[in-house]
Amino acid sequence: MLVTVAQALINGLLIGGIYALVSIGVTLIFGVVKVVNFAQGEIVMAGMYTSYFCATLLGIDPLVSLLISMPALFIVGVCLQHFLIRRVLKLGDMPQIFLTFALSLLLTNVALLLFKADYRTIQTSYSDTAIHIGPVYIAVAKLIAFGVAMLLSALLWVFLRTTDLGKAMRASAQNPEVSMLMGINPDLVFAVAVGLALALAGAAGSLLMPFYPAYPMVGQVFILMAFVAVVLGTLGNVTGALIASLMMGVAESLGIQFVGADSGLIVVFVMFLVTLIIRPNGLFGGKRR
Amino acid sequence: MGLSKNNTDKLKVGRRQVLSTTAAAGVISLFNIKHAAFAADVVNIGALYPTTGSLAQTGQGCVNATKLAIQMINDAGGIKSLGGAKLNLILSDNQSDTTVTRTETDRLISNNKLSAIHGCYASALTLIASEVAERARMPLLTGSSSDQLNAGTRHYTFTPFARASQFAEAQLKMARLVSDKPKVAVVFENTAFGTATSNGLREKAPGLGVEIVLFEPYSAGFADASPLINKIKASGADMVFPVSYLNDLILIIRSIKQAGLKVVINGGSGGFVLPDFQKSVGDLAEGLLGVAHWNHDMSPATLEVNAAYKKQYGDFIFEYSGGIVAQTFMIAAALEKAGSADPKKVHEALTQLEFTEGYAAMCPGGRVKFGPDGKNLYAYPVGVQWQKGDLVSVFPEKDAHASLIKS
Repeated sequence: MLVTVAQALINGLLIGGIYALVSIGVTLIFGVVKVVNFAQGEIVMAGMYTSYFCATLLGIDPLVSLLISMPALFIVGVCLQHFLIRRVLKLGDMPQIFLTFALSLLLTNVALLLFKADYRTIQTSYSDTAIHIGPVYIAVAKLIAFGVAMLLSALLWVFLRTTDLGKAMRASAQNPEVSMLMGINPDLVFAVAVGLALALAGAAGSLLMPFYPAYPMVGQVFILMAFVAVVLGTLGNVTGALIASLMMGVAESLGIQFVGADSGLIVVFVMFLVTLIIRPNGLFGGKRR
Repeated sequence: MGLSKNNTDKLKVGRRQVLSTTAAAGVISLFNIKHAAFAADVVNIGALYPTTGSLAQTGQGCVNATKLAIQMINDAGGIKSLGGAKLNLILSDNQSDTTVTRTETDRLISNNKLSAIHGCYASALTLIASEVAERARMPLLTGSSSDQLNAGTRHYTFTPFARASQFAEAQLKMARLVSDKPKVAVVFENTAFGTATSNGLREKAPGLGVEIVLFEPYSAGFADASPLINKIKASGADMVFPVSYLNDLILIIRSIKQAGLKVVINGGSGGFVLPDFQKSVGDLAEGLLGVAHWNHDMSPATLEVNAAYKKQYGDFIFEYSGGIVAQTFMIAAALEKAGSADPKKVHEALTQLEFTEGYAAMCPGGRVKFGPDGKNLYAYPVGVQWQKGDLVSVFPEKDAHASLIKS
């Protein structure tokens, strides 16, 4: 019994790390640019295909192709902000929702067109191995993904706390008008924020590739959890999204273990609703950032 | 000067050519019209498969098999009782969609003078096509396994292969081969397909001496299979029957490997017996069990067809495609017996014939005789196992091509 619970906790934390990378990106864009990016799941998909083709065509390990997918998607993010999102910022919510939602549909269907609906997998030496500690085990690929996810989250946290650009980003998030009066260039700050968010989603894709199949609709699997984590951890709060993601991974895993394999999400959503009743602004409402 | 004369000559020749070609074309087209009216030298066979949409890849495999079968029949001299008439394939794409299947079946039957049709891979699509074919009194042959295809007032739908209800039984009997007292975990996606299949397993398990220790529905399309695997581990099962589509199946099999769980896996039918499955999971496919209504190593005839298919398309010929080749030969035999391209006569011949040899008898047991409900009286599925990247028949013993590896 104890072993089963311990294993369920480990499984939950490991997948929670992946949820975190996706949700941190969403919350970062929302916090700074005030736009909800519905296409974040499709960026994960783009990251997966990047790593897939790096592995199959060039023989690059998915963990190494992180160094390709992240900068590539950072640039995509900067362009996305500069050429698309920037133009709808003053138009209110609806055009922004339409823009990112359309982008999500577009990316899914372009992927369908280019890559077909096949499930593409890659086998690495660590794909299906695990570290066994007594009766419990930790899957190596998932552990690596979790470790890198935590490292990237920590780097983002340090960036936001200590660098001028990071501080400017937080200032823009808190009050865009005043931050402009202080000489902060919102275009630059916004572009970097979207770029970082997409780079994180790309990282999630690359980290998933050793153990998860890539297909055009794969983004949908992760985006729902990411949105819940963003609200649960208080909109715009990076640390909140991280902690909420880990909590949700664990809740889902325990739910599957003790309620039913088709009820994992029920436990997650009950936890979500109870939190909203007690703390309407999410777990970290009131002390944003 | 010479050059210009040359040009004029060329021009003259050109005119003559144009004139003669036009005349010839006119004669040929007259000839064609005359021939089409009598339709003496070709017999049209309709084939409905999804070559676009979500099932496109498998559907294309079905079309490839259809073309191969038609070519084999025509190369062997066509339908002799019809003066060596050749089979002419008329393809229709139902786009993996039920609504399109209805209109396409209708269009295919009413726009062409057909003798019989076959299709459509997915049972949901075949059920629709069958309804339309019944109304048009057009014989439809299919490898789809839904028991509904034999229900009600269907008279023109013929199913030469094992029914869905027989698959569960085969899966459970195979479990007994692996262990005397198998403890099985049935994990199934909570959809119509998953629930129906797993309920079939649960009903028949006690009668066949199989204990089901975990009967667990899960939400299809999960992010992580390891919580489910943890549950299987806690249940003490020594065998797992996942009823899943490809994506979940890949995750389940990988997670079982990661957990170091020693269980026998029987993935049933569908995506599990496709060459793509092996490509997706690689070495992890080794030793996994499944069930199929057809397999390429069943008989000398199937091996021959497999070799021809492999030469042309690269992969081994998968379950459904192999069945299509047999079906096409059944249609050819019916045409031969009927001595007519009239669908009603073909239907009559199909109800009377019994296939025991040649390519038409390529099914487990090698015997096809249609009962009043269109079901092959002698049909049963074969148990298969992935061995060294190939899918081999291992059950029942008389159809086994290799022995079952108990890993």
